Amino acid sequence: MFQRLSGWVSAAGVTSALVLGAVGSVSADETCVSPYSPKIVGQEDYVYVWTLGVEGMGDEQDKLVSIDANPDSPTYGKVLHSVSVGGRNEAHHSGYSDDRRYLWAGGLDTNKIFIFDVHTDPAKPSLFKVIDDFVAVSGGVVGPHSFYALPGRMMISALSNNADHGGRTALVEYSNEGDYVATHWMPTDDDLQGAEKTGQFADGYGYDVRFLPAKNLMVTSSFTGWSNYMMDFGKMLNDPEAMKRFGNTAAVWDLHARKPLKVFDVPGAPLEIRCAWGSNYCFTTTALTSKIWLIYEDKDQGWTAKEVGTIGDPSKVPLPVAFSISADDRFLWVNTFMDGSTRLFDVSDPFDAKLVDTFKIGSQVNMVSQSWDGERLYFTSSLLANWDKKGEDDQQFLKMYHWDGKQLSEGFTVDFYKEKLGRAHLITLNSRALYASKIAESSTPSGRVGALAAVSGTD
Amino acid sequence: MGRAQRNPSIPAPSVRRAWRGIARPIAAGCWCLMCCILSPASAAVDGPGDYRDGYASADYRTRSLALSGRVGREADLLALTRDPPLGLPPLPVPADNPLTAEKIALGRKLFYDRRLSLNGTQSCAMCHIPEQGFTNNELTTAVGLEGRDVGRNAPTLYNVAYLRRLFHDGRERSLEHQAWQPMINPLEMANPSIGVVLERLRTWPDYAGRFESAFAGRPASMESVGQAIASYERTLLSADSPFDRWYFGGERDALSASARRGFTLFTGRAGCSGCHTIGERSALFTDQELHNTGVGYPSPNERGRTEPRRVLLAPGVYGELSAAALSSVSRPRRTADLGRYRITRDPADRWSFRTPSLRNVALTAPYMHDGRFLRLEEVVAFYDRGGVSNPLQDPRIRPLGLTARESRDLVAFLTSLTGAIETLVLDAFAAPIGDVGSERRPSSAE
Repeated sequence: MFQRLSGWVSAAGVTSALVLGAVGSVSADETCVSPYSPKIVGQEDYVYVWTLGVEGMGDEQDKLVSIDANPDSPTYGKVLHSVSVGGRNEAHHSGYSDDRRYLWAGGLDTNKIFIFDVHTDPAKPSLFKVIDDFVAVSGGVVGPHSFYALPGRMMISALSNNADHGGRTALVEYSNEGDYVATHWMPTDDDLQGAEKTGQFADGYGYDVRFLPAKNLMVTSSFTGWSNYMMDFGKMLNDPEAMKRFGNTAAVWDLHARKPLKVFDVPGAPLEIRCAWGSNYCFTTTALTSKIWLIYEDKDQGWTAKEVGTIGDPSKVPLPVAFSISADDRFLWVNTFMDGSTRLFDVSDPFDAKLVDTFKIGSQVNMVSQSWDGERLYFTSSLLANWDKKGEDDQQFLKMYHWDGKQLSEGFTVDFYKEKLGRAHLITLNSRALYASKIAESSTPSGRVGALAAVSGTD
Repeated sequence: MGRAQRNPSIPAPSVRRAWRGIARPIAAGCWCLMCCILSPASAAVDGPGDYRDGYASADYRTRSLALSGRVGREADLLALTRDPPLGLPPLPVPADNPLTAEKIALGRKLFYDRRLSLNGTQSCAMCHIPEQGFTNNELTTAVGLEGRDVGRNAPTLYNVAYLRRLFHDGRERSLEHQAWQPMINPLEMANPSIGVVLERLRTWPDYAGRFESAFAGRPASMESVGQAIASYERTLLSADSPFDRWYFGGERDALSASARRGFTLFTGRAGCSGCHTIGERSALFTDQELHNTGVGYPSPNERGRTEPRRVLLAPGVYGELSAAALSSVSRPRRTADLGRYRITRDPADRWSFRTPSLRNVALTAPYMHDGRFLRLEEVVAFYDRGGVSNPLQDPRIRPLGLTARESRDLVAFLTSLTGAIETLVLDAFAAPIGDVGSERRPSSAE
């Protein structure tokens, strides 16, 4: 059913990680696509925004919105299409299958997984399949969050469970065909599954998942359960019991065996994980405590986690959310939700993250994604339906910026409320060139033509 | 492989290991590590498996339990109801809804079925969590469909069979009727109609024949759904606590000296038993009435908070959110809950709430209709202060002038009201959790 693109990948050049360093001062990870997937290294044609429906607005449903991102197009910066999926599911994250022909998008509330066909007509994705029994088949896992491709498989990190709607949860593995494969529970104190609890915490919570194939390593982080991520943000901040229910751990796993190796203390809800392209380490940022952490292999201690930077004034809770690592591993763009800003950090020395500059994006900002050439950044506004700001500060947008190495200059903006679309969340990029028959010939991207690259990896 | 379950060739682990090194006490004062170690392997039955006591301290350590260990043991619930545990009166059962094993089993299945909500995410048990005292220890007030703010703390269901008034405002009188309210309340399970729920129940294969069998050939109906859920809830009987064994059973050593002193205060100078009543042969610890203690009355410092709020961010780590920042992410909430007044529209009923039973109160934090108190010590301190003064306050609420030792004694007494729960909680763990798709997997739905 799901045709592989392995031939394309191998022909397109597997040395992209090395090439990228020469692309520009800030290269990009294209929002951290799986190392097993092809990449767009030229001009993207489309931006897909996984969007939350809003009661009383438009058709009220969650939808995948496609926006024209090619400046040569007469509809540049305009909404091309949207696919409504039925209901409000707490649309959150999405991720491509390894062949990049399908986009998997999840609902943190209803636990539905929507698989979109993005290759037949990349301008107008279509809903290909809906998985509605994720909780039942996984053994009670709730809140499918990250979708990260393995060869022939989709690894899904989750946030909660159907027993108490708390934060203990699991990774769930599916085949590319959309069939359930396995559930891998996060390590807990009573069942560390052979992992080493290196500090005080082994909470069993989950959030993101990423791979370092060369090291046979899988990395996970931790957030909070359904009760917290679904409730009004202000109510939660006023609820001292609820504020105890956050994850404080990151873990490293044997990727092949899906077996946890070590659990690290990373206090304050470590969320996104972004791994270096040219080296074998990963960063995560803590939403509540506003720190940058490095997960790396120490020559003496083996895999370990270390705090390497501070984001804003942690005492004021700026709430760092999404971030993006440049493909040359030199920079991080870190968004802070509360002040609607993005911060550029120099992580040339990964042990010492230095703030370079801060840019205001809007009244609130959550996701950030970069083009492969590092010249374009995309930002969206929604964090969670009930965590977003209220009143006039509840701006909902996709904003595209040009980056010249010093300044961000606004390219185009799509006002998601004005368009009656909803709350703009996860951003993914796509290109027609990915699905063209002779794409392999485009191994050296130039101009405004999308092309492929890939980082080699085996599972 | 790690701790995994697989489809189809690798089943879930057959050996379910549970955390045995540390467990919370299930009886008053029983911080007996050896007892816990020697008890049968099981998940925690007396608190969240996600242990967070001491979380505010930098010394906090997790003691988390694997959900794979949350396995149970089915109990004969009907038999339990025939002889209520020591301290409880005979079980009242409506003449038109006699208890049967089939109705109880059907009600139990409905109770844990998340499909009985508009979007398949909420069951009764998502707010009344068995190991959390059939309430939710992790939230001050309940969270409903799509994260909606229910606004009140989920009350425990232990011994709910005896209650003559249900909900904090006492608006329902029978469990059969009460069962429907959360299902069609837009803030809770948010079903658009009773008919929609019944239509689903009549079409899901895993319910085929269940109502007909339990209700003499009658299909699922508004009446039978309520009767089935009520039948299960009626079995959640918990007593035979250290207090019961001491007071009703004559075991002189069942209560600690501190708890005995607390009892003297409870029934004497502190006046608690004026509302939390104790009978000669049994005790429900509620007068089944509604009172104004002032807990719902908005005190001056609750009106229009302007100072920054200190927020716990991680163990031992606090931050400070300005009032403006907090307001920017807060949906406007009602400033006061008028309690019984919402039902009667009688101004005299403003800020009146039902007297909750105190049985198992140590298991049912947080406390009060809005969950404002996290610990029993805070509750005792509230009454010691004389509640919150207001024109309609019950005159029996007045400053108590308790010493620190007396406050501790009262807490010790309250903790002695924790009854036997393991059978009920393990039975709950054995119940199937209905999820979307369960109807296509009948083995998992049973």
